[in-house]
Amino acid sequence: MANGRVRKFLTKKLNLSAFPVVGPISIWILLFVLMPLAVIFIISFLGRDIKGSIVPSFSLDNYRLLFSEGSEYAKSILRSILFAFATNAACLIIGYPMAYWIVKYGGKIKPFLLLLVIVPSWSCYVVRIYALKQLIGYPGIINNFLLNIGLVSSPIEILYTPHAVILGLIYIWLPFMVLPIYASLEGIDPSLLEASVDLGATPAERFLTITLPLSKGGIFGGTILTFIPAFGDWIVPLLLGGNKVWMAGTYIAHYFIVMGDLPLGSSMTVFLTTAIVLMIYICIKLGGEQAIERIL
Amino acid sequence: MENNEHIPCVELKKLVKRFPETVAVENVSLKVKQGEVFSLLGPSGCGKTTTLRIIAGLETADEGEVLIDGQVVNKIPPYRRNCNLVFQNLALFPHMTVEENIAYGLERRKTPKTEIKEKIGKMLDLMHLAGMEKRYPAQISGGQKQRIALARSLVLEPKILLLDEPLASLDRKIRKELQVELRRIQKELGITFFYVTHDQRVALAISDTIAVMRAGRLEQIAPPDEIYDTPRTKFIADFMGATNIFSGRAALKGDREVRLESDEGLVIFAFNHKNIPVEKITGISVHPERIHVLAGDSKSRADNSFKGKIVEMVYQGDFVETKILLLNVENSRSIIVHLNTKLSQKSQFSIGKVVLVQWDKENSNILQD
Amino acid sequence: MRSPKKGKILFIIIVVGYLFLWGPIIVLGFFSFSSDSYGTRWLSFTTKWYGELFQTSALMDAVVRSLIIASVTVVAATAIGTLAGYGLYKYKFLGRRILRTSILLPITVPYIVMAGALLVYFTRVIHIPLGYPAIIIAHISFSAPLAVFITLGRMQRIDWSLEEASTDLGANRLTTWRLITIPLLLPAIFSSAVLIFPWSFNDFTITYFVAGVGTSTLPLYLFSMLQYSLKPVLINGISLIFILLPTIGILVVSSLQRETKKTR
Repeated sequence: MANGRVRKFLTKKLNLSAFPVVGPISIWILLFVLMPLAVIFIISFLGRDIKGSIVPSFSLDNYRLLFSEGSEYAKSILRSILFAFATNAACLIIGYPMAYWIVKYGGKIKPFLLLLVIVPSWSCYVVRIYALKQLIGYPGIINNFLLNIGLVSSPIEILYTPHAVILGLIYIWLPFMVLPIYASLEGIDPSLLEASVDLGATPAERFLTITLPLSKGGIFGGTILTFIPAFGDWIVPLLLGGNKVWMAGTYIAHYFIVMGDLPLGSSMTVFLTTAIVLMIYICIKLGGEQAIERIL
Repeated sequence: MENNEHIPCVELKKLVKRFPETVAVENVSLKVKQGEVFSLLGPSGCGKTTTLRIIAGLETADEGEVLIDGQVVNKIPPYRRNCNLVFQNLALFPHMTVEENIAYGLERRKTPKTEIKEKIGKMLDLMHLAGMEKRYPAQISGGQKQRIALARSLVLEPKILLLDEPLASLDRKIRKELQVELRRIQKELGITFFYVTHDQRVALAISDTIAVMRAGRLEQIAPPDEIYDTPRTKFIADFMGATNIFSGRAALKGDREVRLESDEGLVIFAFNHKNIPVEKITGISVHPERIHVLAGDSKSRADNSFKGKIVEMVYQGDFVETKILLLNVENSRSIIVHLNTKLSQKSQFSIGKVVLVQWDKENSNILQD
Repeated sequence: MRSPKKGKILFIIIVVGYLFLWGPIIVLGFFSFSSDSYGTRWLSFTTKWYGELFQTSALMDAVVRSLIIASVTVVAATAIGTLAGYGLYKYKFLGRRILRTSILLPITVPYIVMAGALLVYFTRVIHIPLGYPAIIIAHISFSAPLAVFITLGRMQRIDWSLEEASTDLGANRLTTWRLITIPLLLPAIFSSAVLIFPWSFNDFTITYFVAGVGTSTLPLYLFSMLQYSLKPVLINGISLIFILLPTIGILVVSSLQRETKKTR
């Protein structure tokens, strides 16, 4: 009796026949994703000495330090949230019309137009940031040009301002907004649009009552794909923001790589991750299952 | 309202629609009377759906005019036309509840909230759907979706309701129920229906008038019984299930009779009800259920009687579809008859037996092309 | 029905969007042919920077390193990921949901989080040497999930009765895999590889954290050049090359895909 139950558990529930196919990834994810995350989670609650080395005892000091008065990290978290929202909003404002236009008027060259959006995102992102830097910096292409034709007398300062960072973030992450929206718009059954017109909707009403709600999944999918990486970005603020506008990610990199301060770096990371998980949760609540489907 | 009984509800005048590769609608003219169910029947790709979409305003005609209630509507956008469409896939808005779906059109017209509520209530009663208001399309059955799609259009009280094979996806039993339902609702509301289908049984069951369409052209417009009994062309005869079609050369015999010498060498007589000129006659069709089957040794001197051998019997419930190979004929010609199930159990009507088939000349339908 | 004005506004947004995405790259490429060593001013036409580039052995070494890492990653990640995608779709087993969510983790948390976690883990816990092993392990952790979800997407559109038909006709599980399943999954395997290769080749953040000293991949090399080079114009040239190469690659791949679709 008990034997039968064990066998049933092994074959039906655990289903060992699935092991050859899902075994490798399970082990891999456990070893190289879950364990590392668990380790920094634990380290973030360990003490540290003055030099930033780990002291093996439970302590909340790291977190206390992060949010102590005037902490640059706390400010950078706020800055990251702000920049990520701005990036997200801008990507939506540019990305939605792009996706909409490609779906509606793309005709036979739809795949090509979409490729034109994706291709930049497939090249090295350090290089793309550099391209932007060459354009807006001083000496930079735009400034050189403006000075040459005498439109300005002294170089305009864009580089190393918060604006430059936000511009960079939009530039890098825009394609990831277009893709999921494109997919969700492309998935709308055209007869639904016809039905709405047939029932008396004007083109504007049709867009607001049918197209927009049905592409909600794409919008929130795109939000996940742009907000999160923008939130966690560290190169863009480093290269385009100089020393002045570091984001949370830049601090993490700084503490891990330059300072070698693992406890503090870990607690920053844990906090950042918590914020992100919260954000994803909100997006899924608002955008439904579709949001997840669209980003995959 | 003045008496406009004589004005057709919808009239198409020489409608033409060309697509890059083909002509979808070629010179189609028809009139739909007020309050009737008009079916446009034809195989897929014959242009019937395009015709319907032109009436709805979702496609524009290249030539010709569309009149609704005597007014040319070619230039009126679909959202201002007084006609509504029930889509083949129903096109229920998946993100809206049943109630919101039905309210959609009324909201576009800025109908007051209380009135919307009242109208939806009435519609749901009419459709036997009360209690479903808050459900989403994904949570209801196929038949219920059907009714909601219907309700969503009917609540706007259109002059004419266009239906694009909305029953096609349902299984047989529900389809039959809904056919009856459709007819009841139509009678109750008195709204004109324009029904597009490829299923001749549906068309026969629900229509007042049927137009048969083939490759963009209309082949015949007539009431169902006329279309069924006296199809005008081979195409229609075949489409309506008259599987026995004989082509050949005709000659007049007497005043009202036609004598057709078929390509296989059979001599078939027909009664010329409609006085069709002999030079236009190209063949004769007979419905399988109009043919008698007699034992092989019986003597018949009646017209249209031929000897044959039973080669195939397929049980169909109320009848047995029987294939009979005619004897003494070139080109191995066979005839399909519907044999009474009782008769089929007798030993003289089993496979391999020689039988006599016979039909009256009144049941020979004259075909022209 | 359609107001032409609205169409125009929409069209302007599209043009601005595409210009925004492509403008900096194109302008940069243009100035790579200028003799100005900052690459921001047009002096005179020259191709000497390209000559200089191809003689920089450190750059070539970095390209080779990136190619090695990307190749190993593609093979391993596609294999593990495709298998897992197949398993997640076909089998019900204990912990399926947890596995699915865990696989999502590396592609949803910011790079910096995983990069930091892996660095700590490699150096303090399991002592994997930084450099090739660490980079490749980290890359597989990121790209195998991509393959999983691409496979899952493809699985939904496959007619699985073919597999049943194969077993019904007497093939065993392995033969069915070889003759039916893998051919059906080929498009997914192909798209996974096409997505993973450039990802691995171009990755900066994760590689930067776990590369250690002496395993500078192309993006890392570019990053150091960007900060310390006296001739930024060299990077202009590299940028042009590395925008053009993937573009051509993608166009070739997509036209190949279209060809195979046609022949089927």
